[in-house]
Amino acid sequence: MPLLEVKNITKQYEKDKKVLSGISFDVNGGEFISIIGPSGAGKSTLLRCINRMVDFSSGEILFHNTDIMSLSKKDLRKYRTQIGMIFQHYNLVSRLTVIENVLHGRLGYKTTLQGIMTRFTEEEKKEAFHLLEKLGMREHAYKRCDHLSGGQKQRVGIARALIQQPKILLCDEPIASLDPNSSKVIMDHLKNISQELRITCIVNLHQVDVAKHYSERIIGLNGGQIVYDGAPQELTTTNIHQIYGSEAENLILA
Amino acid sequence: MDTVKSSVTFDIRTKPSGKIKITNWNKSKVVMTGTLLVLTLLSMYGFLTFDYKEINLIQATLDTLANLKLMFLQANLNNFTLAEAIYQIGLTVGLAFLATIIGAVISLFIALFAAKNLSPKPLANTIIIFIAFIRAVPTVLWVFIFAIAAGLGSEAAILGMLLHTVAFLVKAFAESIEELDAGVIEALRASGANWWHVVTNAVIPSTMTSLLSWTFLRFETNFTVAVAMGAVAGAGGIGFELFMASGFYFDMKEVGFITYAILLIAVMLEFMSTRLKKRYIVKS
Ligand SMILES: Nc1ncnc2c1ncn2[C@@H]1O[C@H](COP(=O)(O)OP(=O)(O)OP(=O)(O)O)[C@@H](O)[C@H]1O
Ligand SMILES: [Mg+2]
Repeated sequence: MPLLEVKNITKQYEKDKKVLSGISFDVNGGEFISIIGPSGAGKSTLLRCINRMVDFSSGEILFHNTDIMSLSKKDLRKYRTQIGMIFQHYNLVSRLTVIENVLHGRLGYKTTLQGIMTRFTEEEKKEAFHLLEKLGMREHAYKRCDHLSGGQKQRVGIARALIQQPKILLCDEPIASLDPNSSKVIMDHLKNISQELRITCIVNLHQVDVAKHYSERIIGLNGGQIVYDGAPQELTTTNIHQIYGSEAENLILA
Repeated sequence: MDTVKSSVTFDIRTKPSGKIKITNWNKSKVVMTGTLLVLTLLSMYGFLTFDYKEINLIQATLDTLANLKLMFLQANLNNFTLAEAIYQIGLTVGLAFLATIIGAVISLFIALFAAKNLSPKPLANTIIIFIAFIRAVPTVLWVFIFAIAAGLGSEAAILGMLLHTVAFLVKAFAESIEELDAGVIEALRASGANWWHVVTNAVIPSTMTSLLSWTFLRFETNFTVAVAMGAVAGAGGIGFELFMASGFYFDMKEVGFITYAILLIAVMLEFMSTRLKKRYIVKS
């Protein structure tokens, strides 16, 4: 049984403009999937439908066979703890320390009062340090986040997502603001996470070569529709045509 | 040569006299100039037609100067001691402090619902409009409105100042909160954090310094208001002593002393709040 089943979903922000139309795919545990497509194709929207930061207009998404649209407010919070998210601009609270930001990933498990009092258990704190250690960020634990480089911030973002103990990681252009070296570090970490911890990674990417190199599966989006869904080795020039339109081809393969 | 000249002259505007115009008379400039002109004419008319009675303008000016000299060069206390003066100043500062602190706490809660990134737009807009109405009425008027129920005194003064403080701070706080990066809120929500978690773990830490700066700024305003309230609304404190010294004892030396004391505090507050504002509120 797949972990996540996306069935024929559509999304419209405005009346007669479908941002997503008829999107269907299944996701298995531990898969590494890249979603590629031109700007405005609906990649970010699709990711946010999965954790219901955006409510889709029609269709169904099943997580462990549960329809996520039927979740109550409380269950939705519980569901979201199982889905980590990583962002292009890291989205950390810059005035707080690295360790405080990592622990924010545990808020989903807290009652309102515990969250307000920032009551974290010793185990949670140890786990936070452990994750930072694994991501090579241990010595920065007490630094304020605005003193970090982009690559370091993104690793804090990853630690914050991992401490949720998620089943799925949604990554919205995680390396779009990073230089090639930091990009490689981040992508390697994501790859490790999916292989060692069997956490499914769904990554929005703008670089086809990166997508090909890291993923087990590529989904190509264009105009809100899936135009390619398959292995990276089988992605042909014609497919790239379909995804990005013919003009872009030279740029991408150059 | 010729073509360049003609293409340039094309959009140069000239006055009827043929000279080149450099101002652009738009609507607001016309209104501004018109208002200034009318005001100038009115004041000239006023000075010419005042009923000066027996007052000799030169004599009056000299007397005023003599009073000013008494006030500011021979400032002294006669009707009460220095210790008492300090106590009265403390009272005024206390009045301002109370109104500011209580106001800030109330404002923070309301501002959470008035910030469009935390609260539904209709609710946020309703609060902002409502608050604008309260702010439009001067503090003194609010004090008098409360005085109807509570009687003139420190209660009415505090309530009036409190209301105006809240109206001011809610707007300032809400705007500070709205500056918070939407992505941060999204990140926490996406991990399952609820609204209160977002407020206490992201919104407050990110905006704390600017909230405190605004509060201090308001404290400075409230100090001057509290002085005035002491005199006008009988709220006590140094303002009341000032009122007594000038309007009751006609003790110019004492008025001078009190003015210096108030000035000292006001300048100190102003200095601190300007620095805070530069550092935390105005972003380059
Ligand atoms: N909140 C919103 N309200 C209205 N329209 C939106 C909203 N969010 C996205 N859209 C529209 O939906 C379409 C898809 O946006 P989306 O951000 O999902 O694209 P994307 O593939 O992630 O693009 P990019 O590569 O630039 O990030 C765009 O046309 C965008 O204008
Ligand atoms: Mg996007």
